[in-house]
Amino acid sequence: MASKPLFKFLLRRFIFLLVTYIVATTIVFILPRAIPGNPLAQLLSNLSRLAQANPEAIRAAERTLMAEFGIDKPLLVQYVTFVFKALRGDLGTSISFYPRKVIDLVVPVIPWTLVLLLPATLVAWILGNTLGAMAAYRRNTWIDKGVLTTSLIVSQIPYYWLGMIFIFFFGVRLGWLPTQGAYSLGTIPNLSWGFFLDALKHYVMPFASIVISAMGGWAIGMRVMVVYELGSDYSLFSEYLGMKDKRIFKYAFRNSLLPQITGLALSLGGILGGALITEIVFNYPGTGFLLFKALTTLDYPMIQGIFVILIASIYLANFIVDFLYALIDPRIRLGQEE
Amino acid sequence: MNEVLMRIENAKAYYKLEKVSVRAVDGVSFEIFEDEVIGVVGESGCGKTTLSNLISMNILKPLTLVEGKVFMKIDGKFEEISSMSREEVKKKLWGKEITIVPQSAMNALMPTIRMAKYVEHLAQSHELNGKELLQKAEKRFEEVGLNPLWLKRYPFELSGGMRQRAVIAIATILNPKLLIADEPTSALDVVNQKVFLKVLMQLKRMGVVRSIIFITHDIATVRQIADRIIVMYAGKIVEISTMEKILQRPLHPYTKGLFNSVLTPEPEVRRRGISVIPGTPPNLINPPSGCRFHPRCPHVMEVCKEREPELREVEEGSKVACFLYSEERT
Ligand SMILES: Nc1ncnc2c1ncn2[C@@H]1O[C@H](COP(=O)(O)OP(=O)(O)OP(=O)(O)O)[C@@H](O)[C@H]1O
Ligand SMILES: [Mg+2]
Repeated sequence: MASKPLFKFLLRRFIFLLVTYIVATTIVFILPRAIPGNPLAQLLSNLSRLAQANPEAIRAAERTLMAEFGIDKPLLVQYVTFVFKALRGDLGTSISFYPRKVIDLVVPVIPWTLVLLLPATLVAWILGNTLGAMAAYRRNTWIDKGVLTTSLIVSQIPYYWLGMIFIFFFGVRLGWLPTQGAYSLGTIPNLSWGFFLDALKHYVMPFASIVISAMGGWAIGMRVMVVYELGSDYSLFSEYLGMKDKRIFKYAFRNSLLPQITGLALSLGGILGGALITEIVFNYPGTGFLLFKALTTLDYPMIQGIFVILIASIYLANFIVDFLYALIDPRIRLGQEE
Repeated sequence: MNEVLMRIENAKAYYKLEKVSVRAVDGVSFEIFEDEVIGVVGESGCGKTTLSNLISMNILKPLTLVEGKVFMKIDGKFEEISSMSREEVKKKLWGKEITIVPQSAMNALMPTIRMAKYVEHLAQSHELNGKELLQKAEKRFEEVGLNPLWLKRYPFELSGGMRQRAVIAIATILNPKLLIADEPTSALDVVNQKVFLKVLMQLKRMGVVRSIIFITHDIATVRQIADRIIVMYAGKIVEISTMEKILQRPLHPYTKGLFNSVLTPEPEVRRRGISVIPGTPPNLINPPSGCRFHPRCPHVMEVCKEREPELREVEEGSKVACFLYSEERT
């Protein structure tokens, strides 16, 4: 009985995700092509230097390359090829790193991005929500005002700006921490303590800048929601029944957490896109940095490839969260009318 | 007459805003007896909800008790509940002595836990045995006509009328002496309204609650259940009478208008109730001088504009605040 609405709910979500996936890949396909410029220009100019500027040879090379990347075909054909290949996991060949495959370029940078953003997002979420709930519990005291003001200020600071301030103080002025990369230049990633410590030192600043700037938003959202829930009908009624304040607060917290979980899922889903600017600022070898390179060289297949992976992961996260949400919130699980 | 359960003495409860005060309850005195149902009627904004907040000592800023006292009989002796701190009020009064069924009872239950769990939490808050209270809740559910198994469900799984009854069942679980219901039926259809009133009266008959304050602007409803009626106008009590008396012969011109409108055949007029009296209710920041009803009163005299009439007994069981019934009427 109880599982039928759940099944329906999940099926509905699945169909919705499928449709939006197609729409999203279409946009991803069109957008890079809307940027003016010739993606092959860079590659050809490199070639021409090698081939000592034989125009015939270069034109021939351009034709082969056009065919290789399928850019000579009509857009529709390109599109259909892209979608079907993407579904099979074939993201094509990179232009700027020719002849390497997009997938081989993206996969190695994914762990770096995950290692940076997964903990940072989770820590920011937990700290932010805890602070926000605390502020709501002690609303209109100095704790509340302190949390609220700090959160407001911090959430307005762009995270890359925070990153740059960190670099300036802890990196340049004090010289405590390295400012570039995920590990020292010249070392090869391995499983030793030495490497771990080195990576950790590189990790602190990008991690902290993301956590601090993301935390404020969570805290404000949580505070607003808990305060709203504390003023809602069930809170008042519980109060009238002599329910302990702590319990009423727990109710409000529980009900406020539900939407925050959705928010967390969305953030987690977007992780694979990397923290674009943070990664650029810290020269951190993640997907964001790769995407930046792909964008500046108009590397269509790479841009598409990163976005396809990103969209897929966002959807996967969404789907998992919908499922979790259905488990947590009885109103969805048991099929309340919307 | 029954014994007094609660006494309100010259209470003034104002919403103190930055510059002005809204004089929502402005010098009211009355008693609530044991085993009676009092109906409180009056136009929207006349201070009914504020009065219920006063009686239950739910006084949160900007609402302030400016003057007056409230006494309640607790364990056989009178205590001044208006001097209790909010903490004391929560600990000693709410749930045990006084219970409130709020204006929006449909959403009054914690939505994301099962009702049985809620009852358990209530037991913990009052340091009672959870199992025993749950059994009591099951019994109470049966008494209000709900299947006790539904306690194991979430509130949203019940229909509106059922939810309302569940709220009543849970609200009365600690056998409070006084139940205050603020417009409890306005969100219900006619059938559910009837059921609800029946449930309320049954709980009173069984002695689960002793007295009931029933706030409404639907006079047709209140006349079915109330023993006495308090008529409020612009923050003041203009008439307190037994139901019988007020139906036979309403005294205050406002009450007359009020009750006549109920007797008109058009449902539209009946539904809007009081608004058939010409004019609009005054603003409570700057109420009219003298009798607050005088600008709308068909019998207005010179004295009404200058002096405030006192609420006094003119017949047995009928108190009215109107110069038509005093010797000073020149
Ligand atoms: N929080 C508040 N701050 C300021 N004024 C308020 C507040 N709550 C109520 N009032 C004012 O106090 C007066 C009495 O309000 P109250 O809610 O007691 O009326 P009511 O008789 O219950 O009305 P209704 O029938 O619409 O429920 C109204 O004029 C209202 O505008
Ligand atoms: Mg009201």
